[in-house]
Amino acid sequence: MEQQKTFVEDIERTLYDIRNEDHSVYKTERGLTEEIIRDISRQKKDPAWMLDFRLQSLEKYYRIPLPVWGPDISELNMDDIVTYVRPGGKMAGNWQEVPEEIKATFDRLGIPEAERTSLSGVGAQYDSEVVYHRVQKELSDQGVIYTDFETAVHEYEDIVKEYFMKLVPPKDHKFAALHGAVWSGGSFVYVPEGVHVDIPLQSYFRLNAAGAGQFEHTLIICEKNSSLHFIEGCSAPRYNVTNLHAGCVELYVKEGARLRYSTIENWSRNMMNLNTKRALVEKDGLIEWVSGSFGSHVSCLYPSSILHGENARCEFTGVTFASRGQDLDTGATVVMLAPNTSANINTRTISKSGGAATYRSAVKVTPGAKGAKCLVNCESLLLDEKSRSDTLPVMDIETDDVEIGHEAKIGRISDEAIFYLTSRGIAEEEAQAMIVRGFVEPVAKALPLEYAVEMNNLINLELVGSMG
Amino acid sequence: MEKELFSTLPVPTWRWLGVNEAYLPEELQTLPTPVRKIQIDVPAGQHVTQVIANRTEQRTEITAHVAEGGSLQLVQLQLLPSDKAGTCSVAVTAEKDAQVYYTGAEIGASRVLAQVKIDLAGDNSKADVAALYFGDGTRSIDLNYVITQTGKKTEANMQVRGALQDSAAKIFRGTLDFKAGSKGSTGREKEEVVLLNEGIRNRSVPLMLSAEEDVNGQHAVSAGRLDNSRLFYLMSRGLDEKEARKLVVGALFATVLERVPDADLREEISREVEERIEHGQR
Repeated sequence: MEQQKTFVEDIERTLYDIRNEDHSVYKTERGLTEEIIRDISRQKKDPAWMLDFRLQSLEKYYRIPLPVWGPDISELNMDDIVTYVRPGGKMAGNWQEVPEEIKATFDRLGIPEAERTSLSGVGAQYDSEVVYHRVQKELSDQGVIYTDFETAVHEYEDIVKEYFMKLVPPKDHKFAALHGAVWSGGSFVYVPEGVHVDIPLQSYFRLNAAGAGQFEHTLIICEKNSSLHFIEGCSAPRYNVTNLHAGCVELYVKEGARLRYSTIENWSRNMMNLNTKRALVEKDGLIEWVSGSFGSHVSCLYPSSILHGENARCEFTGVTFASRGQDLDTGATVVMLAPNTSANINTRTISKSGGAATYRSAVKVTPGAKGAKCLVNCESLLLDEKSRSDTLPVMDIETDDVEIGHEAKIGRISDEAIFYLTSRGIAEEEAQAMIVRGFVEPVAKALPLEYAVEMNNLINLELVGSMG
Repeated sequence: MEKELFSTLPVPTWRWLGVNEAYLPEELQTLPTPVRKIQIDVPAGQHVTQVIANRTEQRTEITAHVAEGGSLQLVQLQLLPSDKAGTCSVAVTAEKDAQVYYTGAEIGASRVLAQVKIDLAGDNSKADVAALYFGDGTRSIDLNYVITQTGKKTEANMQVRGALQDSAAKIFRGTLDFKAGSKGSTGREKEEVVLLNEGIRNRSVPLMLSAEEDVNGQHAVSAGRLDNSRLFYLMSRGLDEKEARKLVVGALFATVLERVPDADLREEISREVEERIEHGQR
């Protein structure tokens, strides 16, 4: 077999790297001032309480220092970031009404195709605004609300006011405060009691403008005994300036409800991905996170699950693939507050071509969480000697009646396994890819088929060419 | 008075967990007596055994160098009075083919801070670390163990076993750090904690850092209370609950204790742990 030496980043990103000319109709000035925040709020026709909320968040943003841990984010200069970019055109409920150029982008990414074949609702955000939103009629008839966040602020103001940034308060950390000040776009989902949404809903976030930030807010409320699978996808073309993504996801899983939240993130490698995701799970509820991190220059992403009610459960499955120029710091946190809560965290990280992958986690068991169980399993694979892989878990246990287990492994693909496969006539590159695919199988299994295929393709493209 | 830093986690994490730094208790900052310093030099090809049973010294620093092919057996047993705070830091460098066997026991002191740093600098060097701790009453135990693997084909093994009762609190940070170039190295780390009643606080922080592909590292932590079925079995054989606890904790500590070369010291620690289980609040 002919050896392929091309650097994969240049091949596999073509689809994502197509950048459109910036035809935005409105942009804020670069940087972050009270005037800019007032400007964003005016553009979005915020109610007065939301403007106040933004201004208070801005104050907190100025006050809170940068974190002392994690990847180096010193290259991020907020004075260079445009926080609000409104694309041309209005939000459409019909794909044909979406401006041609934006439509072509999402067509290339396969979003409308996915809607036709496997989704019951789709939202697409381009820069700071949602450009397309649609949900199947059967769902709206059952009372399911799936809309862009701006519409929700106006049409479902009481619900938004009750839940918005209550789980991730702006004081939480610097980028939560930033989000509170400049948030724009995102999705609002409300699933009424007892309703099961059988086919997934999806939001796709695309950041086109250079030197811009995307700060979408996702709020999902699953009422008692309901269920939902929500998928988010993210991408952006590559620019030579730093782009910033500081989204916020707040998930409320009420008694007996189940929510699966899947993400395949493939931001371009000039992106700082500083995203905050948190779920509050009530009695007998279940949150399932499926998280694939492939893109971005720097990522800090640790979906957190607060198990608030008795028997609340969390399943976290994550895969992180760090390649050249990437520092991906990912993991999960779980806070167990009630009796018999349980969590299962299963992650795989891969580093190659000088990439750095860190698994970071925290499991906190409070004194009241009697009978809590938590199992963590993380495995890391290093594919060459230029790369780096770190594992940093913390367990904090404040009661005796627990079962806590943590296991981690770090290493490379064994020569024996490669030798065995090549002796069976499989080419070395393919043998390596097979082993990596097997390694990430727990994650692939948890994804819907189309996404599992996309993830496998990403892995194949990353690996071919790395040998020889 | 400004707080004095004693040890830090090699790579920091979230501040709210309170595990990034360990600061000296105030009573140790103003101690009239100087820090006791012990220097051990193991010449090439030689073996040295040093057993330190510390009952009085509140601050100890042990530095050791093990030359090529040498081996050091260092046993550090902290048996300070229960109303005193104490610190101990150990730093060992191992050259080519050198071996370090470290055994630690944290039994006494109201508040103890211990740091063990072993640098496997030479190729084929080896560190075998085993430690136990027993926390009861309001005791606070803060441990920071780091094995750095720099040489090729180094081998690290860290096993820590502990039990917590009453309202004792403990932090164990255990780091295996594979440096670039440590080809063919392996590292194993395991912490097992038995939680004897509610009211305790156990923090475990097992770190594994790797800048080298050709390594094999594993770490594991298990924490929980005494296995009910085992307890039930022992009690069905006529033991009361406290006796059963003593037996289970004794078995947990046995593999660490048997590395202590002095039978009297082994006996003293076992008896002390048994007595404290007997007088536990619950």
